[in-house]
Amino acid sequence: MASHGLTYEGCNFLRQRLVLSTLSGKRVKIKNIRSKDDEPGLRDFEASFIRLLDKVTNGSTIEINQTGTVLVYQPGLLYGGTVEHDCNPQRSVGYYLEALLMLGPFMKSPLKATLRGVTNDLTDPTVDLLKSTALPVMKKFGIDGEGFDIKVAKRGMAPGGGGEVVFTCPVRKTVRPVQLTDPGKIKRIRGVAYSVRVSPQMGNRIVESARGILNQFLPDIYIYTDHMKGANSGKSPGFGLTLVAETLNGCFLSAEMSSTPQGQGDPILPEDLGRNCAKLLLEEIYRGGCVDSSNQSLALLLMTLGQQDVSKVLLGPLSPYTIEFLRHIRDFFQIMFKIEVQKPLEDERKGGDKVLMTCVGVGYSNISKTLK
Amino acid sequence: MRPLVQPDGNVGRLNVNLTAAFDTVDHSILISRLEHCGVKGTPLDWFRDPEPKQLPQHSAAPCSALWYAPVLVRGSSYTKIMTQNLYQNFLRKKEQEQDGELENMECPDLNLIELVWDELDRRNLSSFIRLDEECRMDGKVKKQKPHQQKHSGPKAEKKKLKKQNGSTEEDERKRNPKAFAVQSAVRMAKTFHRAQDIKTKKHHVPVVDRTPLEPPPIVIVVVGPPKVGKSTLIRCLIKNFTRQKLTDICGPVTIVSGKKRRLTFMECNNDINSMIDLAKVADLVLMLIDASFGFEMETFEFLNICQVHGFPRIMGVLTHLDAFKNNKTLRKTKKNLKHRFWTEVYQGAKLFYLSGMVYGEYQNQEVKNLGRFISVMKFRPLVWQTSHPYVLADRIEDLTDPERLRTDPKCDRTVSLYGYLRGTHLKNKGQVHIPGVGDFQMSDVNFLPDPCPLPDTQKKRALNEKERLLYAPMAGVGGVVYDKDAVYIDLPANHVKQLQEEVRPTTELVQSLIETHVTLDAKMAASKVSLFSGSAGLDPTDISEQSGVQEGLREIHVWDPHTQTQRRKVVFTGDEEEENDVSGSSSDEDDDGSDSDQENQEEDDDLSTFLKEARAKSEKATRGSTPPVKKPKLEEMKGENEVVTEAPVFADSEDELEKSEADSEGEGEAERAGDSGHCSKESEEDSDEEEEEEDGDDESMEEEIGADDSDEEEEQGTLKWKEGLQQKASAAFLRHQEAAPNLRKLVYGSVVEAEDSEEEEEEEELGGLFRVNRPQKSKKVQANALDCSHFNPDISHNWDLEEMLNLIRDCFVTGQWEEGQDAATLLKEDEELYGDFEDLETGKVHKGVTGEQDQAEKSESDEDEADDEDQQVKMDDEEVQKNKRLEKKRRLKERFDTEYDDGDATYFDDLKEEMQKQAELNRAEFEDMDDESRVQYEGFRPGMYVRLEISSLPCEFVTNFDPHYPIIIGGLGTSEGNVGYLQMRLKKHRWYERILKTRDPLILSLGWRRFQTIPLYHIEDHNGRHRLLKYTPQHMHCGASIWGPITPQGTGFLAVQSVSGVKANFRIAATGVVLDLDKSVTIVKKLKLIGYPYKIFQNTCFIKGMFNTVLEVAKFEGASIRTVSGIRGQIKKALSTPPGAFRATFEDRLLMSDIVFLRSWYPVSIPQLYNPITSLLLPVGQKDTWSGMRTVGQLKHDLGVRNKPSIDSLYKPITRAPRHFNPLHIPKELQKALPFKSKPKLLQPKGKVPRDLKRASVIREPHERKVAELLRALSTVHHYKKKVAQRAHHAKHKEFLQQKEKDEEAKMKRMKDARKKLYRIMGQKDQKKQRSSLKGTPQDD
Repeated sequence: MASHGLTYEGCNFLRQRLVLSTLSGKRVKIKNIRSKDDEPGLRDFEASFIRLLDKVTNGSTIEINQTGTVLVYQPGLLYGGTVEHDCNPQRSVGYYLEALLMLGPFMKSPLKATLRGVTNDLTDPTVDLLKSTALPVMKKFGIDGEGFDIKVAKRGMAPGGGGEVVFTCPVRKTVRPVQLTDPGKIKRIRGVAYSVRVSPQMGNRIVESARGILNQFLPDIYIYTDHMKGANSGKSPGFGLTLVAETLNGCFLSAEMSSTPQGQGDPILPEDLGRNCAKLLLEEIYRGGCVDSSNQSLALLLMTLGQQDVSKVLLGPLSPYTIEFLRHIRDFFQIMFKIEVQKPLEDERKGGDKVLMTCVGVGYSNISKTLK
Repeated sequence: MRPLVQPDGNVGRLNVNLTAAFDTVDHSILISRLEHCGVKGTPLDWFRDPEPKQLPQHSAAPCSALWYAPVLVRGSSYTKIMTQNLYQNFLRKKEQEQDGELENMECPDLNLIELVWDELDRRNLSSFIRLDEECRMDGKVKKQKPHQQKHSGPKAEKKKLKKQNGSTEEDERKRNPKAFAVQSAVRMAKTFHRAQDIKTKKHHVPVVDRTPLEPPPIVIVVVGPPKVGKSTLIRCLIKNFTRQKLTDICGPVTIVSGKKRRLTFMECNNDINSMIDLAKVADLVLMLIDASFGFEMETFEFLNICQVHGFPRIMGVLTHLDAFKNNKTLRKTKKNLKHRFWTEVYQGAKLFYLSGMVYGEYQNQEVKNLGRFISVMKFRPLVWQTSHPYVLADRIEDLTDPERLRTDPKCDRTVSLYGYLRGTHLKNKGQVHIPGVGDFQMSDVNFLPDPCPLPDTQKKRALNEKERLLYAPMAGVGGVVYDKDAVYIDLPANHVKQLQEEVRPTTELVQSLIETHVTLDAKMAASKVSLFSGSAGLDPTDISEQSGVQEGLREIHVWDPHTQTQRRKVVFTGDEEEENDVSGSSSDEDDDGSDSDQENQEEDDDLSTFLKEARAKSEKATRGSTPPVKKPKLEEMKGENEVVTEAPVFADSEDELEKSEADSEGEGEAERAGDSGHCSKESEEDSDEEEEEEDGDDESMEEEIGADDSDEEEEQGTLKWKEGLQQKASAAFLRHQEAAPNLRKLVYGSVVEAEDSEEEEEEEELGGLFRVNRPQKSKKVQANALDCSHFNPDISHNWDLEEMLNLIRDCFVTGQWEEGQDAATLLKEDEELYGDFEDLETGKVHKGVTGEQDQAEKSESDEDEADDEDQQVKMDDEEVQKNKRLEKKRRLKERFDTEYDDGDATYFDDLKEEMQKQAELNRAEFEDMDDESRVQYEGFRPGMYVRLEISSLPCEFVTNFDPHYPIIIGGLGTSEGNVGYLQMRLKKHRWYERILKTRDPLILSLGWRRFQTIPLYHIEDHNGRHRLLKYTPQHMHCGASIWGPITPQGTGFLAVQSVSGVKANFRIAATGVVLDLDKSVTIVKKLKLIGYPYKIFQNTCFIKGMFNTVLEVAKFEGASIRTVSGIRGQIKKALSTPPGAFRATFEDRLLMSDIVFLRSWYPVSIPQLYNPITSLLLPVGQKDTWSGMRTVGQLKHDLGVRNKPSIDSLYKPITRAPRHFNPLHIPKELQKALPFKSKPKLLQPKGKVPRDLKRASVIREPHERKVAELLRALSTVHHYKKKVAQRAHHAKHKEFLQQKEKDEEAKMKRMKDARKKLYRIMGQKDQKKQRSSLKGTPQDD
């Protein structure tokens, strides 16, 4: 009587599929993973992700064929507890953490995951960004309390890695519906300019340049410089900046930028990085919404998993990743979102179009949690 | 007369002029009446005055509020209190006015009173009566018989007493403050505590109210043992509600019982399967009890089933009450039954009595009363029911292809089930469980028009005959006869078909094969058409024509105006509803939208275009105000398409309009053919129920965002702008957002395609003729792209430009605020509100800026702007001022409210309010949508009449269908379709006679399901270990672990040993609740390993026989072991020989006879048996005979196998060896130390006396012998003499002693007397002495 499974092709959106499969209990089969590629099959980082998933679940079965081009995943129950995982340095910890953020609240026992690897790189949202934006989003859904935190114990830049992140998450039985329709005005901008294994001055240079742009809008800007030394500084040099704009209603929009990894591509000047990152933040503000672009899917997932009530969230334009996520949500949970585009008024200077997402939750309850 | 009535007893006075009235009135009666009415003292005296006279105006009497104006009497018998009505009128009016304008007595009713009295002055009394009537008409007061107050008798006395006391009661606290003072703080605290406890106990956790506006019919399940009158009761109730007679009750019967209520009756037969199933869906249970017999087991069983699966409302109905001849026994029985029922349900549960039958029916009045009870009953939400969708099917139809049936009568059936959806929202394609059949995937869900709708809202009390609907297809009533042949002419189903075809006008082969709503020839015709379109689609016009015909008038008439007018406008209004309304329309719009996108994209190829321009363009696009510019471009694009034969992007086979346009523009025939072919294929793939979206559009969109896989353009591979697609796409995305609001299409448009690429390939092969050779690689590249959640920014945004920065100025607190939130405005408003204040130190009074001033200022400042609109401004000013004042008032009130109300608001209140808000939002969100689109977002709403299609039901379900058995389709939540391990808490039912054995198969009812499984019972030890139990405890909970369907924690279940047949005993074996779902099971059972010492040293010994290999020992190194006598030890190390032996140390020396054991715990695995009960598949009449796996005991019983006892356990005679005890040995040292008393007194046996010590034996001579003989004789004599002498001496001595004693006694007596005498003398002497000393001076001295 195994439940009706779903079949997909290609390795794109692998995380979404596996995460949703775990939450919905539906079997998923992914075929043709890089089947026409020179190096067919799953990559190391994907294998590492699957291994992590195996660690936090109990009773899940994963079958991969010889070439690694077909993956069959029968999810088990989310178990949680203390988990340690060495993430593959091909992708940063953010890649793994994004999935854990989605799964964390629905475990049997509170999760304490220690992830080691690259904390900051260019492709994935960095740990700092997730800490400053994803956690507030989840707090809005009632996932809050003691021990809900992402801690950067060590920082490791791109090629070498060597960073360490501790993610702790409490367990919830249900998620409450939200109505986030008004982001409010931005009252302050905070940020972290980090640098490891380079001159500590880098941080200050980044801050200077970033402030130069953002000061046109707001005086309340404070960017921390975070220079890690010795054992905490990982294996590769690098620097970067994460900016977060906080609104009056407690919404967080963020942007980030890291230096190019050592030995790959052109090196970037810290001033340029600061400036570009500030511009990225402006872009993000232009997009607007109550949830920033990298956490759209997280917010939508939590809306889906809410009680059978109406949830509303105002987002900026949907990212391709989110659009695919919406399709997957429909596949796994049969939930369709009502999507309404809100155009800015004539004389309003509040950035571009917004999208109001509305849905009725599936009435999901954490079946892993023990009843006493 | 000039009355001035004053209520409330504050300032009341009444001036009465009764001159006119007095002439016609009997004075004595009048006075007594007045006295009774409360007119006392002086005013009464006036009336007593024999001469009616003009009363002085000033001498009015103050009266209380109870005082009514005088009583008018005509003749001697007719009495009327007329002013009472007037007075009440007056009060009412005054309440409406609300404000304390008491001082002003100029209220209309008062005037009325005056008027009446004036009238009275003028006319005579007879005319007054009429006037009185008029007044009453005005006041709309019904004519009622006035209350007759008692003046004498016990009642009046009592009342008087009460009145007196009442007045004193009020100031009791004042009078006796000590009595109400706090006596004991502790006690007060206790009472307070208790009060709070009681208050909080009443609180329930508030839940969001999710009941739909139009709820589904209430399911009333009628249960009871056989022959209690279940069917009769249903018949009677139906007759009562609908005035129709229903002879055969089979299947659910739905009726409209009132303006807002529908009922579904379902009879529950005596099968425990039906009882379990129906208890899960019942809202109200009518529990029939044969009073002449008493309670039967079924009743209690059903009650227990209900308790486990959430307790629906239960109403008992006693029947067969006419069997009692004796009234007293009847009463007694009623009472007994009632109290037993109450203990089972709750105290005060309703028990209905149906006293007897009249012509085979219950008495009308009683049935009517029962009906009333039902129609006003309120229901509580049950957890399981409110969290799962379910349908109680009232109609089923077999849709399987007759040809297939003919060839293979046992093939799986496609069946459609109909019924009202209840519980919660049902999602299409979800998984369902049909109790008694199994788990299934729904292939299709539609909603149909309600067959039994509630009447339209109108203001009348009762329903008319037309509205009293009855719907029972299984019983053959309600429009459709339950018949297989009726499937094809069923109207609602046809309607559904039409709807579907509206959505996808090109009917395909597959679709037509699946859908068998049409007759065979019609189907043939349809298949022909679809074959055409499927293979080549050479004549899409035909198809579209057909679809047009099918779509009907509605569509066309919606459509036409749009075609004539500007199409763009429709697109960019961003009206969601319209898109959802009609797929065709939206697709059309979309196409245009995509066109414009294309356009934009092309234009923006040059990325350095100024943003302003881009903005303007997008605005243009959004407004669609430039049709003339766009038209040619569109054509241009089309031209391009023709060139590259890039069909799908703009092709739209569904849309006639588009097509006609395309025709007019002279698009190639071949291209169109290709389009339609593609489309049909798409729709074939699309098994979704939602509207068909044309893929060309979707794909174009997708491509733009660079997110999706298969693209027709890529297939063609001839597009120029394919290079750098990713970049362009991301660049265009934002603009695309601006231009095309139809995001829904973009997101959900082509999911199907991504899913079923496999099918697609098959289709291609199937299609045969027009197979397209696609370059697969490009697609795969997309599918295997980097998995990253980053959203790349729009490259065209240059944030160095001031214009760009200005676009987001207002996102910051430093920017401009909205009208109502601006700091300046807020400040001003605050000023108005709280501006007035007096500086206490200086005594200065600051005046706030009033609204007028403010307004003036404002108008001044605005003067230059609003010169020409002066007049209007003035008008507006007033309005604004008024609004402002209102606003001010509102704010003040709000402030007041928050200050005074919030104090009382508890957490509970807040929570409730929050839930209330959420419920309102839930209702409001999708309210104004049409059902078609609403269903997609919400799922199917409870209360809808739905048709569920399930494609692979076993054939027995249809062939063995019995309408008397309920068919329930229960929706399953996320991951409830899976099977896994469940940990539960279980308790054997106290009425079940036997205990349950581990690993005996048991039938569980959990969630929707009934299934057989093998439980393991266990109990938790103090250290958290789950120890396996062989049997369930008698009166205790224990754990049970099973392999079964995943069900949320907290769900209750019940267990029975078997569901077949009827037994006399109570059948429910156990009940419990699911605690946990854990894939890893931690049940252990105790395992004792036994070994024997074979070599003993001091405290160490070698033990063998416990293990078999060294490896096993190694695993247990360090484990603690024990002997039977309790000597503890530890395993140290394995020995090489013999294998499995080991060295162990103990706390004491062991004996060779000791047995050593190791106590260990062995994990037990749960047998994976999950056997759903398929009772519905059994033949009719045998449905209650399902039997699954048998227990070992049953098997042995059935097979006649008897256990062979082990020889060792047999009894044999006991032979006991006599016990032998060793003598006690006391050490010498100890013996020495012992006191003599405790020393062993055993003499040493004498050793042999040595010869020298032995005396020689003497042998006498005869003489010597004689001498010795003599001596002996002499000595004997001597002895005798001595003895006699001694005896005599003894006697003498005795005598002497007696004599001596006597003497002694006498002596003693003498001495006593002498002493007595002496003491007397001494005493006298002493007395004398004392006396003399008392006398004073001694005379002697």
